[in-house]
Amino acid sequence: MRLPRIPTTFRIAALAMLLVLCSNLALLAFIHIRTHNDRLTPLRQQVLADASALSDVYSSGGQDELKSTASDMLSADSSGLAIGIFDRSWNLKAGNILLPVSLRPERATNFEIAPIRLKDGRHGEAGVSVLRLGHRGWLVSGRLFGEQLTLQRAIERSLALALLLSFLFGIICALILAQFVRRRVAQIGQVVDQFGHGDLALRAPMDGSSDVFDRLAGRINGMFDRIGSLMAELRMLTDSLAHDLRSPVSRLRAKVERAMTTSEGGDREAELATVLQEADALMRILTTVLEIGRYESLSSRDQFSWIDPGEFLEEIGDLYGPSIDEAGMALEVIRQGPLLPIFGHRQLLAQAMSNLIDNAMVYGGCGGAITLFAEQKGEGQCIGVADRGPGIPPELIDRALARFGRLDEARGRPGAGLGLTLVQAVAHLHGGRLELASVEPGLRAMLRLPGSVAQQTLPLNEKLSGGFQQG
Amino acid sequence: MAWKILIVEDDAEAAAYMARGLIEEGHVVDIANNGRDGLFHASSGLFDLIILDRMMPEMEGIATLRALRAAGTMTPVLILSALGTVDERITGLEAGADDYLVKPFAFGELVARLSALMRRQRDDGSAAETRILVGDLEIDCLKRIVRRAGQTIDLQPREYKLLEFLARNADRVVTRTMLIERVWDYHFDPGTNVVDVHISRLRRKIDAGFAVPLLSTVRGAGYRLSADA
Repeated sequence: MRLPRIPTTFRIAALAMLLVLCSNLALLAFIHIRTHNDRLTPLRQQVLADASALSDVYSSGGQDELKSTASDMLSADSSGLAIGIFDRSWNLKAGNILLPVSLRPERATNFEIAPIRLKDGRHGEAGVSVLRLGHRGWLVSGRLFGEQLTLQRAIERSLALALLLSFLFGIICALILAQFVRRRVAQIGQVVDQFGHGDLALRAPMDGSSDVFDRLAGRINGMFDRIGSLMAELRMLTDSLAHDLRSPVSRLRAKVERAMTTSEGGDREAELATVLQEADALMRILTTVLEIGRYESLSSRDQFSWIDPGEFLEEIGDLYGPSIDEAGMALEVIRQGPLLPIFGHRQLLAQAMSNLIDNAMVYGGCGGAITLFAEQKGEGQCIGVADRGPGIPPELIDRALARFGRLDEARGRPGAGLGLTLVQAVAHLHGGRLELASVEPGLRAMLRLPGSVAQQTLPLNEKLSGGFQQG
Repeated sequence: MAWKILIVEDDAEAAAYMARGLIEEGHVVDIANNGRDGLFHASSGLFDLIILDRMMPEMEGIATLRALRAAGTMTPVLILSALGTVDERITGLEAGADDYLVKPFAFGELVARLSALMRRQRDDGSAAETRILVGDLEIDCLKRIVRRAGQTIDLQPREYKLLEFLARNADRVVTRTMLIERVWDYHFDPGTNVVDVHISRLRRKIDAGFAVPLLSTVRGAGYRLSADA
């Protein structure tokens, strides 16, 4: 059977109450034990000694002897001794106790505390002992509490009251605490609600105390920031997609129109061929946008394999070498130091390198050399492309990496400003990042792949198959 | 030569467009408009080639292909799909497709690829040729030696691979993407003219100084290695 769920605020309140109560109880118990033992124990011993002495007198000398001893003791005492000898129906025969008010027990008691009144008018609480005198009556002996004991009794009563009060305070404290927790959570909840309704600028209030609520608010704000930046990026993406597609589409349209108005067969065919080219270029932009989105969200590593960075660069160089050569530039492949194998997606890494080389060919044109490099940096493995062109000023690097981000100097050239974004998406897919740095002269674009991707020397499935062979 | 081609495609317009083009080329075409019908027709084993869409009602393309291969039908399959990322292509090829073409496509590209598929199918039957002749060009595939009119031509390893692929598809159009895929094993579009440059270098080596050029450019489609270009 499942217990019903107890609300958290209630649990917190109950806990707080319990804690207040426990600490107070411990304090009260301590006070009680200390004072009780200190004061009451001697009195108790005294009362018991009196009772036993009187009892001895009675058993040796009978009731008369007892009465005279009692009056002797009473006249000699000054500190609140009380003795009463009663008959069977509780009538006083001798002694100084007037009213044993509630003290008419059916049987003898060893020691108890009860209020009594004496003949001389003194009254108050006393420790008393009740003995049975055969069948003939009762002997009550005891001692009034001294001042200190009275005070202590008063303290004990106050302690009981304090206990009651501490219970009440516990409840109040718990309610306040619960209210505080509820209000703090409700504040955050309200912000989350409003954010959910579209007020993206809103953030949960933080008081800088770095308590759990503050940290929770901080985390929620972090999430809001991320959502906000994603939304902003998405909006910018759709805006710029619409904007950047406008020009190729209008070019396409113009070319179709011209082809329609051309009557000459040959010219018309040439016009249609350019239409086709435009359509292909448009298609390529759309494919790239789709691929970027896909790689950014892809988490599967099904297609990953172990790649030797050196061989990988040689292959890319082999594909691009002639084109770079034709463009009047030189291609060099530089491998620095020992290289770690990369666990990665060969096709996508090649596509990323291809984009970097394309960029280097377009923008690094005047410098004359393109370098493909691989080097081990810290934990990770880096591969990249360097050119000797004008480079990108540091303050513009973020813009160069943004989707459709094109630096002004590049506006006039072909391309949709997606190349570096795709490279970045591929880097993210590998858990790495794309770093751009201006090196005098030129731009150095580097895919930094993290150690976990590069450094694992044995692929997992090889380890597994090794294990199976052994077993 | 006429082939019997099965088009499995739920978009009736696209299927009709392909069928019209292929019939004009002289082939026989059947159309199935969902995966289950496609599987049923294809299982007959009567077709030379199957063009398979991926996202279809009744039965998805990859599932159809797997069922077909599991049943032992080895008819060459070309997947024609709008799902075009590298991973999607590899999924298709791993499921047993012989080639993968992304929509939208140029009709010339489709024909070139089907043609290459048919050629491979034929080659698989017999032992692979160890000596290829295209006009007066002679390729010794074992020693990797190329001669033209008895004169040895010195080629880089990649140039040799490029030439061998063109020669194995002699007289047929080979597209740029086919070359990127088969010669370099890259499944993305480099976008720039990288393949054209390789081709022109190869052309300089095998055609320069000879009266009859063997390697020709087919406008808007690709290249062709042929004795009577």
